[in-house]
Amino acid sequence: MKCKRCRRAEAAVDLPSHHSAFCPDCFFVFFQRQVKEGIRKFRLLAPEDRVLVCVSGGKDSLVLWDVLMELGYETEGLYIDLGIDGYSERSKEKVLAYAASRGKTPIVVELAREGIPIPEAARCARMEECSVCGTVKRYFFNRVAAEGKFTVVATGHNLDDEAARLLGNLLHWHRDHLSRQHPFLPDAGEGLVRKVKPLWRVSELETASYGFLKGIDYVTEECPMSEDATSLVYKEALSRIEDQMPGTRTVFYQGFLDPGNPLRRAPEAQLREGGGKEREGAGTVEAGTPRACASCGAPTFAEVCSFCRLRERVQKRREQRAGRASG
Amino acid sequence: MLPMILVRLTQKKQEFEVPGPRRVMDILAQAGVRPTTVIVTQGKKLLTKDHRVEDGETIDVISVVSGG
Repeated sequence: MKCKRCRRAEAAVDLPSHHSAFCPDCFFVFFQRQVKEGIRKFRLLAPEDRVLVCVSGGKDSLVLWDVLMELGYETEGLYIDLGIDGYSERSKEKVLAYAASRGKTPIVVELAREGIPIPEAARCARMEECSVCGTVKRYFFNRVAAEGKFTVVATGHNLDDEAARLLGNLLHWHRDHLSRQHPFLPDAGEGLVRKVKPLWRVSELETASYGFLKGIDYVTEECPMSEDATSLVYKEALSRIEDQMPGTRTVFYQGFLDPGNPLRRAPEAQLREGGGKEREGAGTVEAGTPRACASCGAPTFAEVCSFCRLRERVQKRREQRAGRASG
Repeated sequence: MLPMILVRLTQKKQEFEVPGPRRVMDILAQAGVRPTTVIVTQGKKLLTKDHRVEDGETIDVISVVSGG
């Protein structure tokens, strides 16, 4: 199969959803154009931005970091060591090796040192690991961004991730989640920095192909905590549809993002209504502007932020266990 | 014994052999793997799904699906 763009070289990537196939050089052009268009469409990034790129060691986040550097953005990587035996060490190695190859040193947060490694925190709080992980990551994204004076946080969520999340939100009629789902979450002030997903137009197949062809050595094993993740069920369903009707995933998600779609509000409207608020865990959540957490001072829409509530639950459980062990 | 195509499913740490020549998409169908969920590589080369693999060659099948 020949490249459909240059019509000379042998194709390396075939993309039925785009009725196309590309040689490596033309695929790089295609991929970067897709990311640029994703950024332009919702003005995710400005040339003067300082971008904090959240990297896990997986393909999507490392590819995101790579392509943003190629596009000329000022970036730093943030790696959060989740404290998962074996997996965290291996993914950290990949991040450090990639960063070194590009002359970078990532910012590293070790959750074990912070007293809240994910496996133990989930056990103690009796919560799903992925839910705990989301709360903890969001907290550190904001904290590191504020401390390092970054103007925006970028994550590697791709088209498949967002389409799967959309399907899950629709199936359960999570109207509040639907109204906030967007590649652009505005800066809510008070340290709740803007969050963007520049890979929202590209599929997992495309990020994996880009990573492989660029020689990016990413961790291919799955996080052992996410084996039963419901997002995998939605991805599987969408993937079956995509096999029969290439391009459906794109139409599904891009149609959802259409400004005329009544299921969702514009990012600015979300902000006015307190759309950037965190909702994980218990406690009253209020709309409006964020304020300082009564416990740690981090920005929150509740009296105590969800991270502090989680940490308190973990601490209580530890004390109960210690009490039982000594008694 | 004649050499065959060696197919390695890297994440599952499994491998199997099939007689060649055979197209990547046919090998994936035999393995019960849907083409949009994987990339198929041979050394430093990325293979399209219609690429014909010959006997004695080795290919790696790498899942692109991430959870969480």
